[in-house]
This record gives sequence, structure tokens and C-alpha cells, in this order.
Amino acid sequence: MSARPATPASPKNVKIKSPEPGQPLYGCEHLQRLFNQDQTTTNTSVAHYKAILRNILEISPANAQTAKSADGPAIITSLTSTYMCLQCPSILTEEDCVKHGSKKSHRFYVDSRSGALYCQMCDDFVWDPTLEELRLTKMATGNFATRKYKQDDLVAPDPIKDNPSYISTNTTIVSCKANGLRGIYNAGATCYQNVVLQSFLHNPILRNFYLSEGHPSSSCDIPYCLSCAMDDMFQDFYAVENTNGYTAANILSGFWISEKKAFENLVTTKEQDAHEFFQFLAEELHERNGDGKKPEIGSEHSCKCIIHQTFYGKLQSTTTCQHCGGVTNQVQSFLDLSLPLENLAQKKGKKAVKTASMTLQECLDEEYIKEDKCEYRCHNCSSMQQARRQTSIKLLPNVLSIQLKRFEFKQGRNERAAKIDTPVSFPLQLNMLPYTSRARTQDTSESFELARSCTYDLFSVVVHVGEIDTGHYVSYCRVRDQWFAFNDHKVELASISDVLGARAYLLFYIVRYLA
Amino acid sequence: MSSGADRTGKAGVIVAPEDANQMEKLAHSVLDDLLYNIVHDLLLKVHRDEKMARANTAAIKIEKMASDASEPSLDSRPDVRIETDAAIYEDGKVLLKGNPLKTTKDILCPRCHLPRLLHPTDGKNAQKPDPGIIYCKKHPYIEKPGFDIYGQTWVAPGPGRGKKKKDMEKKLDPNDTGSPAAMEGSAKDRPPNVLSFPSATCSKCKRCILVTRLNNHMGSCIGNSGRNASRAAAQKISNGGSNNGSQNNDNTPPGSQKGTPLPGSRAASPRKRDGDEFDEDADESDPTNPKKKPKPNPLTKKVILKTKAAAANKKDKVKASSMLAVEQKLEDSKEATVQVAPKKITPKTGPSPAKKLKLGLGGKPNLSAAAPKKKKDRDLESESSETLSSPPR
Repeated sequence: MSARPATPASPKNVKIKSPEPGQPLYGCEHLQRLFNQDQTTTNTSVAHYKAILRNILEISPANAQTAKSADGPAIITSLTSTYMCLQCPSILTEEDCVKHGSKKSHRFYVDSRSGALYCQMCDDFVWDPTLEELRLTKMATGNFATRKYKQDDLVAPDPIKDNPSYISTNTTIVSCKANGLRGIYNAGATCYQNVVLQSFLHNPILRNFYLSEGHPSSSCDIPYCLSCAMDDMFQDFYAVENTNGYTAANILSGFWISEKKAFENLVTTKEQDAHEFFQFLAEELHERNGDGKKPEIGSEHSCKCIIHQTFYGKLQSTTTCQHCGGVTNQVQSFLDLSLPLENLAQKKGKKAVKTASMTLQECLDEEYIKEDKCEYRCHNCSSMQQARRQTSIKLLPNVLSIQLKRFEFKQGRNERAAKIDTPVSFPLQLNMLPYTSRARTQDTSESFELARSCTYDLFSVVVHVGEIDTGHYVSYCRVRDQWFAFNDHKVELASISDVLGARAYLLFYIVRYLA
Repeated sequence: MSSGADRTGKAGVIVAPEDANQMEKLAHSVLDDLLYNIVHDLLLKVHRDEKMARANTAAIKIEKMASDASEPSLDSRPDVRIETDAAIYEDGKVLLKGNPLKTTKDILCPRCHLPRLLHPTDGKNAQKPDPGIIYCKKHPYIEKPGFDIYGQTWVAPGPGRGKKKKDMEKKLDPNDTGSPAAMEGSAKDRPPNVLSFPSATCSKCKRCILVTRLNNHMGSCIGNSGRNASRAAAQKISNGGSNNGSQNNDNTPPGSQKGTPLPGSRAASPRKRDGDEFDEDADESDPTNPKKKPKPNPLTKKVILKTKAAAANKKDKVKASSMLAVEQKLEDSKEATVQVAPKKITPKTGPSPAKKLKLGLGGKPNLSAAAPKKKKDRDLESESSETLSSPPR
């Protein structure tokens, strides 16, 4: 049952959002009347709304989906929305709303699947600034604290918060045309860079970092700094009214000048691997913004830099000795998850026809749920033993980058690289909870909060078309709910089916709710 | 289920046949409900965006009226009462009147307060915008084959539209009919939505390079994939005690050995065309020639070769587009060309005269035409021949 308190828990008086220019104060006239009755009504209404949101988001959906009118005997659980009365604990079906309304004069209901407020007198959903802010905050953070992560407008300027006249005299308003959607010219076989740059440009976390002067290029002295080049690029994409393609000359020269050892094999004018460039760029930006330590692969590296905050997570591998049962845990940081396709494709190929397709979740299952056998030197037995090894994700990153290893190097007499063209279907929304270490150690089937915190949304897909040694990279990026196809300098609208039908090479997922 | 024993759910779209059993009916009902939810969610989202935009529009409009009504006061919340069909302005507050979806028809941009254009100007679902209205600059995206979301398209890298001309357009007087810039495809003849590839400045040598060649240029100008570096690396490797006995191991980095084609497979390639390629070809000629052992004196050779390569480059540019025009370089280049060991040039002379011929006969189109396209080809080719051994993983 809903844990709705009869009296508001907080003794403080609830305040209606203060008026903001360009925005009405209330969602509708009727809500205005409700909020203007007296302070107690406002307090109870807001408290009830919070309780309803908690009911929707924190406990089993069966609860909110079950209509149990206070006066009627009928209990109906529905897949479709029920209506939760804002003024009493009744949960009603759509049909019963009118009856309840005329009987009790309760006119406001909350949609049980979205938390949206319905006004019976308007006969419409209303979007009240005060209540809507509660809803978005609750959905984004899991509580009602007023840390501001607005779901759909992270960069919206907030001119009223500081002294408006100071801001207006010292800044220029960015043109409404500047929206971050530009192509990047191919500087000669650099499409592998362009796709990665686009995925960085449309990564909300990196975007906010650079647009909030995270690394202002004006105050950096490092010559040919790649982070400065990124800063300039973000400025050019989001602050300049230019729709022509971008020439990433600074990125390119920074890339050429970079002395990164791990990257030497990339420094040619030939076509290259986008994934390697992604790793290069991430490490380079970490070095410019981070603690200066080299991100060592295979060890646990914690750093507060923007790259670590964005991309890095932690893997835990548990090795269990088959002889003595001793368990060894090892934790290491990861920038991305690399999922091999070959083994799975072969396994599938045996069962089905050649054109077997698979899902991203199957690949993840293979790596982060199933166990494999290995040899290892057990400390207890002090000898080589058979062991079971299991890897799971200890810490999920904010941006989850997944590489599908489509390029496989075949060993043997005919040494050659081959591309695996098996279609791998991937979801727009990915639940990573099953692959976490927590899911391994405890039953998570009832942890709705936890599951929501492990929900990821796809925002960028990198696709390689062509053969192993030559081809072209294109990418898809999502801006709010619209997908765009990026082919070097050309940007076009893309449909969701275009995106999901692509043979992805790199996938970028962003966590839905920033904790 | 809200539909009980019915044969369908709330949407009523997926209906079980009349003689269906209970499980079938339930399955149809569940599926139908899910469909209903999907539509419901989509509608709710659009509804939210639209209704909030209209409500804010009503607020923006009435705030504008209020500030107009109380002209002299600079107060951000003028003390007036204004009422429209959509809202009431009172005590600095905006209160809605009625449903903004009904009372407000247009949408004003919350930032620039100009009306939003509601339909794309071209392509799918296009509508002619009212020429009397100044719209917000954020337009709906255009969906039209061959054009991008802004309705832009690019000069195809085909005949007559190569890089040289592009460079000319920037520097030459467009009215000079004698210049190649005035030929078809020049900037002034093109509609404004047809863009050409821009040039960028190399951060090291500060030269202006067409964007499509930038990577190649930087590779040789900054990077260590230039011929000098690769030569140096090769030297290091051969000196560093790699005597595995492979015939052309000496001066080829191990990474590119496997992919190196047999001598001759590239030598006769008709594709060689311009300066940058000479640069690369010179590189490649070394590994392909098994006779060339490590250079006894790589230093001097390098210097000479460099001049030649650079010179060839310059010469090409000057000829084609007299604007980079470091005129004395032309002479330098001639000298340099002569200085270079003749046997290195001979295999390469093939393309050179051909190019000259084309320049003389047909003017620019052919030459410039081929450049960007060929470049791609060449990339592919060299890719397949050289980087196979180090494939993208």
C-alpha cells in the first residue's frame, strides 16, 4: 500500500516557485485557485503529489497500477494508466475519475505511469512549474532535493539567478541557430576522428564541462593542447551561428604533435580505427585535465578529471580456485567495454544458419554474467590450479562506451584480419543492473530505485561500412529525442530505425539519471 | 485487465478472433494495452512540449505588453494589470487564462522572443514562410535527399570543381573573366546553399591548405609519417640489429612490410598526379626497391629529397593557382629538381608531363577534377597495401 502520510511530513510551508519571466506562475487557472486557497491546502497538495511520485517510482508498479477507489469495492490492476487523486488516497480508472470528481469535488489526478498532472476542469494535462520541477527532480535524482538537473535542458541559460543586468551587459546571447549540429570536414581519411569527435560533442557531460569553462582555452599555456582544441570546437559548435562543416584543424594538429607512445602506429595518413582514436583522445584529455598520472590499464585508477568522471568505470573479476575454493578479487578501471563477437557468432553459427544475429545483451551476458575457466596460481595451494573466473561491473560509468569487436585478427598460416559483419541488435534503453557486482551478490528484483539508476540511454552510434582495411565511418547522435546521421561534413535527420538497423561498431550510452 | 473478458485492450486495435480461447484473448488484450501505452507516452511527450511552449508564449507576449505599457520605468516587473485572451498580468505575475493550446496559436522562442517557424522551408512537409515575419533563427530541420538538415549541399568533387579553383575563388577578383575562378562552378554562380570545401591554416607552417588535404599535409609537415621520419625510423630499425634476413626488411618498418606490394605493382600506376603524392611516392619507392640498401649517408639525401618534394609541391600549386605565389620558390624548385638524383625522378616523370599537357590543353578542369577523388582512391590503395598488417582491431 502507498505510504502516503495523512499529514505532511515537513512542518515547513511549501513555497510555490517564484515567478520567472516568460513563464506563467501556475499550470492552469484551477491549480492557481487550489494553491491560493490557503497555505495548508498548498502544503497538503504538494505533499500528496510527492507521496504519489514516491509511490510511482519507488515501489512495485503493480501498486500504482491498481485502481482502488475509496468508496467502490472494485480493485482493478491495469497495464494502462490509472489516475491517482491529488486530494485523497484514491486510485481510479480513467472512467471512474469523473464520478469521483463530481462526488468529492476532487479535480486533480496524477497519471500513474508518468506522474503527469491531469486537471479535470481543463479536461487536459497541465504542466505546472512547481509540480513539474518536483517530478523532474524526483525522476532524475530519486529524491526531491533541489539540486538542479533538469532532464531536458541542461544548458539553458538562467539569466535571473545572478544579477541580470550584469550578465546582459557582459555577455552576448548565443544565437538560437547555434545548436551543436554541424558536420566535420574530412581532412583526408579522418572520418575515424570525426565520428569520435561527434560522439564527444553530443555527450551532454562533456558538453556541459566545456561550455561551463571546464578547460578555457584562453588560460591554458600548453602548446597544441588537445583539450583547448576541444574547447574551441565546443565553442564553435554551440556558440557560433555557422551551419557549414567544421574544420578540426586544431584537433588534427594536436593529434599529430602528440607524443603519445601508444599511438605511434596511428600516426599515418591512412585510415585508422575509430576505437583507438577514442582511447587516444580520452587519455590525452585525461592528461590535460586530470591528475597527470597515466591511466594504467589493468589497475584501479581513480581520478577526478572530467574524462574519468564521464567514461571510467570499474570491473571486478573474481577468481575461485577449484581446488581449495579460495577466492581472489581483482578490481580494475575501464574506459570502455570491449565485447568479442567471434566466439558467440561461431557458437550461434553452429546452431543456426550463417546469418545468425545476436543482441547486445547476449554479448554482455557472455562477458559479465557467465564464468570461464582459467589456470591460475593459487596462494593457498601454492600451485597452479584450475579456477573459475567471473567478471562483473563494480562501478558503472556515467557514459558507458561499448566496442563491438568487429575486427578480428585471424592467427595461423593465412594471417589476416577479418571483419565480422554479424548484425548485433542493441536497445535504445539498456539496463545494466544484471551485469553489476551487486546483482551478483544480492537479489535485485525488487530494487526499483537501483534498477532505475542502472538505466542507460543510447546517444551515439559509430558505424563502420566497408571492408577491414578500407571503408568509411559514419555515426548517429541523438539530440534530445531527434537522431541525426553524421557523414563527415554532412548532417541529416535519421529515424530510430536507421539507428537501430545500423551495424554498430561503437555504442555510447549515457546514464539516465545522474546520481 | 480493464477489458475483462473482452477480446481487446484499451486501444481496441488488436482484437482477438471471436472463437479465441482465454489465453489468446488475454494475449491480444495485453498487446493492445501496450500499444495504447506507447501511443499514450508519445502523445504525452508532444503534449508537454507543445503546451509548455504555448503557455510560455502567452507569458512572453503579455510581459512584453506590460513592459510596453509602463514605458519609462526600467523595473523588470512593471506595476500594471493587463489581460489578454490567454493570460493575465498582475503584480508582476503571469496567470494563465484558459487552455494555452486553445488560446495561443503560435510559438515564440523563449530566448529571442521571435516567432518560431513551424514547418521546414524545403523538402518534406515544407511550407513557404511568411516573408513579412522575422522568425527565430532556429528552424525545423530539412529532410530532402541530397541536402543536409539546413538545406545545404556541397560542390561535388567532380570535374571542374577541384581544389585549385577553390583556392582561386578566395583570392582572385571574381570579375576577372580570364581567371579560372570565373568558370562554371565558381562561387558567384552557385546558389547560396551550395557550399565548397574550405581551407585551413596549418598550425606549423601557416600555409593555407584545402581541408581535404589537411591530414596528409600535417602528416608530412608535423607528423612523423613524413618521409624523413619514416626514413629515420627505417634507419634505426636496420641499425638496431634487425637482421632476420627478410629481403626488404632493412628499410621498412616491420609494420608495413607485409602489405608492401611487389615492386612494379605501383611503379606504373597512372595515378600519380600532384606534389603531395610525389612526397609519398618517394617514400614508397624505397621499400619497393629491394636493391636499395640502407643509405650510406641518409642525412644529405634527406635534405635533397625534401627540397625536391617541397618544390614539386610548390611548383604544382603555383602553376595551377598562381596565388600561393611565392614566386622565387618557383626558381628554387627548378634548381632543386635538377639537383635530385635523376634516377629517382625518371620513373616518376610519367605523370608529370601528362599533367602539364592537360594544363595546357584543357585548362584546369581535368587536373583539379581528379584531385580529391583520386586522393580517396589512393588512400584506399595504399591502405590495402600497407596497413593490412596493423589492422584496426
